[in-house]
Amino acid sequence: MTKRRSDSVGRAFPPSASAGLRLFRPGIRTVASYLVAVLAFVAVSTTAHAQGLTVQDFKSNRPTPRMANGKPDFSGYWKGTTDTKPGGNIGKDLPGWKLPLTPAGEAALKHNLTATVDPEAVCIIGGIPRHNASGLPFEVLHGAKKIAFLYWYSYFRLIPIDAALKHSDDPDPSFFGEEIGKWEGDTLVIDSIGFKDEKVWIDENANPHSDALHVVERWTRPDADHIHVETLIEDPKFYTKPFTYSRTWVLGKPDEQIQEYSCSENNVDAAHLGFGPGPIRPDGTRGYVDPAPLPPPIPRTAK
Amino acid sequence: MAKPVAADGVVEHTPMKTLLLAAGILVAGGGSLAAHHSFAAEFDASKAIRLNGTLTKVEWTNPHIYFYLDVKDESGNVVHWTCESGAPGALSRRGWKRGDLKLGDTVVVDGYRAKNGANMIDARRVTLPDGRIVSGASAGDGGPQ
Repeated sequence: MTKRRSDSVGRAFPPSASAGLRLFRPGIRTVASYLVAVLAFVAVSTTAHAQGLTVQDFKSNRPTPRMANGKPDFSGYWKGTTDTKPGGNIGKDLPGWKLPLTPAGEAALKHNLTATVDPEAVCIIGGIPRHNASGLPFEVLHGAKKIAFLYWYSYFRLIPIDAALKHSDDPDPSFFGEEIGKWEGDTLVIDSIGFKDEKVWIDENANPHSDALHVVERWTRPDADHIHVETLIEDPKFYTKPFTYSRTWVLGKPDEQIQEYSCSENNVDAAHLGFGPGPIRPDGTRGYVDPAPLPPPIPRTAK
Repeated sequence: MAKPVAADGVVEHTPMKTLLLAAGILVAGGGSLAAHHSFAAEFDASKAIRLNGTLTKVEWTNPHIYFYLDVKDESGNVVHWTCESGAPGALSRRGWKRGDLKLGDTVVVDGYRAKNGANMIDARRVTLPDGRIVSGASAGDGGPQ
């Protein structure tokens, strides 16, 4: 007969659990102990995440920085805010986050969900507009004739700023598209066509876009600490009508910048990924509604 | 709705679930999405497990760090486990450094098992030999933070 074990906080493990692999089965008598340990872990984790990818928005009284030509300078390290909900969903600004998919778009979504692995997970560029819906910070370097967006995963896009530029008749398809920047007052308008139609998700939730995608981003910097985009997304193959996506980012700390990130260095997980993003929660984000709790943290003094 | 499920398939209902979920929500903050891939594309949120094993290999790499444990099963056989955590940059900003993992160390890993049944775990919380607890979660991957 296997002797029943318990850990240092009195949590009983089932007889079937091995010495090394233990299954979480807490008892109600241990609630107080768990509470202390969990809240301690939460405090530590919250602090860690507060220094992380997204931040609380705040008001700024600092004026918009400007370049020598008088136009706003978008340079900076930009972080999303906790107000962007649902994150990663290109339908964020639509009622019920419901995208106006055509039948072909519905079929493409089904294909993405059931037959494709997230392209970013296998180190394929997310492209636009997906990067604008991402929770990852990005960095902008802005010059008079060109603007560079630098993304995690070591991706970048370079957009010429020139009112005289016109789109090509048949641009080579790419993940960011053929992008042209023009000023309309203090708004930088980036107009993009010529997108890929394979191995692309338009957002984290595996929504699709086709090669007919046309994206118009209207970027502003209302003060020193914010940049904002109003995005028009048109794709007559997959969407019955144009729709919009807007978002604001806040300026990171002076010592924050994009770091080296080689996506394919050691992509062990690629062989373990299922198709699609997994379940989408009612709040429009990817993930499980009711994950099983982890075993309680081990109080440090008990080790 | 996912339930806490042991690796042997036993479903558990716990009075702590609500508290833990609330804690998770607090930590997750705004729930932004960020990670290299969705938690739910790789891991099963119903299979929360704890590993207690010996560290045999460390890969402090992108897009995730991996470390490998030898874990004894109840028969005394050694089973090899692959543990996946966030990216090096994110982990080091939280105070978890490469030097915190030394071959031969005994570490405790709490996380969720891979959906495909491999001996692979999303190492969301790691208890280091000195008792320090570090978060290995990939921030914003939609998984429990």
